[in-house]
Amino acid sequence: MELVKGVVRGFDSASYRATVQLAGSLAVWLEGVPVARNIPAAQVTVGRGCVVLFFDEANPRDAVVLAVYE
Amino acid sequence: MRFLPPALADAQRSLSAVPYLEVTLSQRRAGVARAAFQRLYSGGEPAGPHAAALAGDGSLLRARIAGGQLYYQRVPSPGPGAPFASWTPLTSAQQSVALAALGSQVLLAYVAADGSVAVRESQDYGASFGAAVAVLPSAAGARHLALALKGGEALLAYASPSQVAVVRRTGGSWGSLSAWPHSLGSISGLACHYGGDYDLLVTGEEASGRAGVWTVVFGDGYRQASGTWSPLREVQRADAGSGVSFAAPCLSAPDLYRLAFVESYSGSQPYARLQLSHLAPDIDFADNWWREPLPSDITGSYGVAMASAPGVLWLSSTDGVWRADLSAAVLDVSGSVLALEMEEVPWGGRLRLQLVDDAALSGPNGPLQPGAEVAVSLGYLTADGPLASPAPRHWLTAVEVRSEGGRRMATLEAVSAWGLLGAWRARRQFAWAAGERNVFAILSFLWARAGIPFTTVSYSQAAVDLRPAFTVQPGQSGLEAVRRLLAMVPDVVLLSQNYALLKHPLDTETPVYTYGNDHPVLAAVARRSPPVANRVQVYGQGAFAEAFLWEDVDRSGERLLQVHDLNVASAAQAADRALWEARRLRLSLVSEEVTVPTNCAQELYDVVTVTEPSLGLTAARRRVLSIRTSYDARRGLYRQRLGLGAP
Repeated sequence: MELVKGVVRGFDSASYRATVQLAGSLAVWLEGVPVARNIPAAQVTVGRGCVVLFFDEANPRDAVVLAVYE
Repeated sequence: MRFLPPALADAQRSLSAVPYLEVTLSQRRAGVARAAFQRLYSGGEPAGPHAAALAGDGSLLRARIAGGQLYYQRVPSPGPGAPFASWTPLTSAQQSVALAALGSQVLLAYVAADGSVAVRESQDYGASFGAAVAVLPSAAGARHLALALKGGEALLAYASPSQVAVVRRTGGSWGSLSAWPHSLGSISGLACHYGGDYDLLVTGEEASGRAGVWTVVFGDGYRQASGTWSPLREVQRADAGSGVSFAAPCLSAPDLYRLAFVESYSGSQPYARLQLSHLAPDIDFADNWWREPLPSDITGSYGVAMASAPGVLWLSSTDGVWRADLSAAVLDVSGSVLALEMEEVPWGGRLRLQLVDDAALSGPNGPLQPGAEVAVSLGYLTADGPLASPAPRHWLTAVEVRSEGGRRMATLEAVSAWGLLGAWRARRQFAWAAGERNVFAILSFLWARAGIPFTTVSYSQAAVDLRPAFTVQPGQSGLEAVRRLLAMVPDVVLLSQNYALLKHPLDTETPVYTYGNDHPVLAAVARRSPPVANRVQVYGQGAFAEAFLWEDVDRSGERLLQVHDLNVASAAQAADRALWEARRLRLSLVSEEVTVPTNCAQELYDVVTVTEPSLGLTAARRRVLSIRTSYDARRGLYRQRLGLGAP
């Protein structure tokens, strides 16, 4: 498991998945990252910092946005 | 095992054979010459659209547009001090200009003042041109042009704001337009080169705003059916809103396909920087496996044009000319080798060489520079003369020169292709959705990013069928990514000369060599150690399976390895994965180590038979899990230690 810092670049409240710019990736973002359901949708706004937990570092679907901040 | 000529096989089985090593150095990476550009001209011309080509007589042809005027230049003997500042105004033009040359034929295309596209042709290496021929009307909306020539045929490619189309000239007549079936939001640049098909490079943005560099092939029957278009294939991308965009692509093939484009960033610390890349060796343009683009200190939003001949690559902008010699001379240092230690192991490998040095070798401009490619061939003096078999290539990481008692000696440290893969780090997120690419294709992509061609000696069905969701995190090394990917399949990777090779190690494999009878075993060690784990549990998406190494569970108790992978979506997949993990555990166990006279053709993961009475081995099948080759000219030593395990 790995914790990675990122920035929210998009959010689909229907699927509750986010597009996240992980730290170190200037140009390309990771799409479709599940967001913890205990985070209110209104808080997942573009530009906010976030923390992504990768259960499997190699599988973007096996991850969750644990927190948003700032 | 590598090819072993009979005379070499006879020699290496003899205890009295004379060692023969070939060691060469060159400024290459996986056989591809490093392009070290030397700037030959710095002028004051304003930035703008430009083009370049190299005519068959070696003349460098350049064209540029400034202030609505098309300027042209032909430098018959390009080199330091050549008249790169001398331009001839030709006609009024705008937007874009393109040049292509083949032998004495040269084509010059430009967007005329009225928006139409005109082409002029030269049959004397660009010394003079015929009258302009209008090929496209202004209604075509051409913004970017590219030209390619093949014997007796020409192709003009153009990009309107969002479309690419081509028109061919055969038998002296321009044909009808063929528009691509793709759609982009906007196109910022276009390049084309003929390589069996018409190969194009496009920069721009998708309708969603995602920027990219793509290749696309207009077929001429090599990899793409004649007159048809391939899919767009991504070389580089930047998501909408990231502030990163791409433009000014160019393409050439002096030795293999090389490309360049400008990457611009509009955020804090903005830049517009040239990026250079090349295909992995022996890979077709249509396969689209490019080395990680290398940033260049050449800046400017119009980028460069490429012009080339075999062994030489030119870059040209409106105000600059650069030249790179791609001959990458090979320096033979075989006669200077004092000692060699070469280690071939899974996921690694290194080389340590000691050479008699003179100032010419290790001087500031000498060939002993970090990054240089070292090619070692192991051999013997045989009845047919000196024969040698090429070992995997290495690349220098350190050079140490020692002077003692008036004698100079250089010690070279080098890494194998695994070291190059480990040095490559993802500078962005790479992600493949489930079903998008199979394991082999993702492995090929990752090895190509490090500049290493990847192919197979054998492969499992899983390497072809499994199309996992997979990502490489920014900052992660290629080695880490490849390890994670290989964990999903039963295959292994070995190195052979410039190549990384996928192999499916079957326990039914036929032995390829015999030690202990004809080929003597000089020393032998048996080792008993438990595997890292002897029980594997695989947890997938609603699927679970286990595998055991029962012989070890009985002997040393249970040690558990758990695998969690959401790509495992069925009980059958889980069972397969558990079996592969168990097999991997067995393959990692070295049970014996034998010392033998060097077998010049031995490769990692070969299955061999070993007869060594002291260890109770009689024609025992074993897999080679490590190879450590030692040569010391001063001690007359030339041996290999082979780590062996279950087949």
